[in-house]
Amino acid sequence: MSIKVKTIVRYGRSWQERLYLIEVFKGMACTFRHFITNFLDNSKLYVRHYPEVKPEITPRWRGRHRLTTHEDGTIKCVACYMCQTNCPAQCIQIEAGERTDGRTEKVPLKFDIDLLECIYCGYCVEACPMDAIRMDTGIFSVTATNREEMKMTIDQLRSTPGAFSEEEYKKGGA
Amino acid sequence: MAEMVKLSVNGQEVEVEAGKNLIDAVGAVGIEIPHLCYHPALGADGNCRMCLVGIEDGRPPLVPACKTPAAEGMKVQLDAEHIKKIQHDVMELELINHPTDCPICDQAGECALQDYYQKYDGQESRMTVPQVQKSKKLDFGCGVIHDQERCILCARCVRFTRQITKTGELGIVNRTDDARVTTFPGRPLNNRYALNVVDLCPVGAMTSSDFRFKQRVWFLTRDKGICHGCSKGCNIFIDHHKEKYKDDIIYRYRPFVNEQVNGYFMCDEGRMTYKKENQDRLLVAKANNAESIISSAVDSLKNSISSSNKPVFLVSPNCSLEQMYAIKKLGEAKGATVSGFSDGYILEGDGDDFLIQDDKAANRAGLELLGVDTTKEAFESAMKEADLLVNFNNDLAKSYDAAALDELIGDCKFAMVATTQDALTEKAEIAIPAASYSEYSGSVINTDNILQMFNKAVVKNEPFDDIVNIVSRIGGDVNENSAAWAGMKASVPALKDVEPEQIPEQGLALNS
Ligand code: SF4
Ligand code: SF4
Ligand code: SF4
Ligand code: SF4
Ligand code: FES
Repeated sequence: MSIKVKTIVRYGRSWQERLYLIEVFKGMACTFRHFITNFLDNSKLYVRHYPEVKPEITPRWRGRHRLTTHEDGTIKCVACYMCQTNCPAQCIQIEAGERTDGRTEKVPLKFDIDLLECIYCGYCVEACPMDAIRMDTGIFSVTATNREEMKMTIDQLRSTPGAFSEEEYKKGGA
Repeated sequence: MAEMVKLSVNGQEVEVEAGKNLIDAVGAVGIEIPHLCYHPALGADGNCRMCLVGIEDGRPPLVPACKTPAAEGMKVQLDAEHIKKIQHDVMELELINHPTDCPICDQAGECALQDYYQKYDGQESRMTVPQVQKSKKLDFGCGVIHDQERCILCARCVRFTRQITKTGELGIVNRTDDARVTTFPGRPLNNRYALNVVDLCPVGAMTSSDFRFKQRVWFLTRDKGICHGCSKGCNIFIDHHKEKYKDDIIYRYRPFVNEQVNGYFMCDEGRMTYKKENQDRLLVAKANNAESIISSAVDSLKNSISSSNKPVFLVSPNCSLEQMYAIKKLGEAKGATVSGFSDGYILEGDGDDFLIQDDKAANRAGLELLGVDTTKEAFESAMKEADLLVNFNNDLAKSYDAAALDELIGDCKFAMVATTQDALTEKAEIAIPAASYSEYSGSVINTDNILQMFNKAVVKNEPFDDIVNIVSRIGGDVNENSAAWAGMKASVPALKDVEPEQIPEQGLALNS
């Protein structure tokens, strides 16, 4: 099998091009042409109308975290601190306590994730032996008006539902 | 020096101590023989078979290393295929019914089963039948929680209550996979050393209710220290950790081996004294009965001492030698009476013949060595004429009740350099917060006249000064431990030849 060679035409060697000025005006003309077309009719825009139009995201997307629950609503997390240990940003802070809902012995009383510090690496999800923490909420834009609001508490993490079906999520490689 | 013998392990020649069993003997030169039931303080029981090794020539093919004394010329096989298979198989046996609930097990991270699984096993479970279920979270009393499923039946805990405390609360009942550790009905653990079974248990079957779920052990920093709970001065690990955005706090004490002082154990009461290092600490200084910054409290104390005619300095018997010496020197310079009166620290009849002592102070022997008077008469007669009492962390409330204390202090000016916020510091006109023993370096002498050195372990976000530094700030000459040692070496005959840097880890027995 012979190697296919494709010769690329090099631009920018002629004297008009080396003068720059002509090319600059050509570029400006192009920009203005697009501007005026889009100004008069924006239905053919190349970019997405964010935030009115949201992007399609895949189940593998690492969005904001949530803490998953069993069918009966009890939290899956057993406060083993694996996620906290594995988190390179050290933004997870857990406090453990005695469990009373009839499952095992240990439960998180406090589970804070500081999203200002989080780097959305997903190591916490990887580390969890219980599939108790996931980043499948589909929430990728997290905003707040002050620092404190960026700290997710156990209740917020628990009450956010997942954005995908179990099958879709599992297909994503989890 | 013990007699040495030469033997070979895996063909490698090593020189080890004669008479010891193989685990300890070759362990001392850094070769590990895995073992679960053997513990140096409890002796060999030979029940786990994890320590089986091969001995070439003229012996049964396999022997338990815990029951085999090291002998000259022995050829020990550790890495032969059949030995590896035994270790592998024993581990598989141990794990057949093991719940492997490491995520919720406080032992995870310091568990022999976890470590040995990584080193000697490493295979998936081949079990296809349901595991045997036993009781979990049994309250065995004395703050010990037992999990029968995690237990590997090594009987260390049972042997501890039989051999060491001689109380025998624990036993193993039933046979085979139904065997379990339990107590007699209505007879829970009831001895003052019970929490040692938590350290002894190689797995997470015995855990402490106090430490339960507080922290994962791999986060903890282990620093060595000396327990200040009584005059035995047990060697301890101070397990502490500074969580993000929080202060450095202590999570637990564990005994650290020192054959000369405490052996492998410590008492439960001493174990819990870590709480005092975390809680009720004096945090704000006081000058003239009002909250102030530390430097003005120090200045105020300095001025009070200068203007006082008859000051009395009271030293705590828990102070380090260096602190005692610094206070004594300051007292001499300022014409103060220095007293170490602390009868209240002695609880007559509380001690036993194992570790616990009557005297709940860590360094009373130090007071005596430095010649600080500790008699009640001398202290009270000095107090009658005194116009200023400077109390260096001596808990007077132990020696006097509230009314007697008021009478004692009278209208004498009362200043405290203290670690704890309590009724006594409340009374003081001047109060200066000081570092506690987990936060400074120093030395103490225990009841058996053994001098022990300890180093700073905990570093608080806003550390307080060591009493030595506070004394120097209020006008003392001694400004650091090395200066105190120079002075002590010159003035105390028993310390003349002691080099503080060369005090062995096991402590130095002072001959006097
Ligand atoms: S995504 Fe990464 S940085 Fe964020 S909490 Fe999880 S482990 Fe920590
Ligand atoms: S979320 Fe998972 S890894 Fe984190 S503490 Fe809970 S169970 Fe452990
Ligand atoms: S005893 Fe060891 S192996 Fe067993 S659950 Fe606890 S940490 Fe895991
Ligand atoms: S509780 Fe621990 S020390 Fe006691 S027999 Fe079981 S494994 Fe051994
Ligand atoms: S340590 Fe030798 S048999 Fe258990």
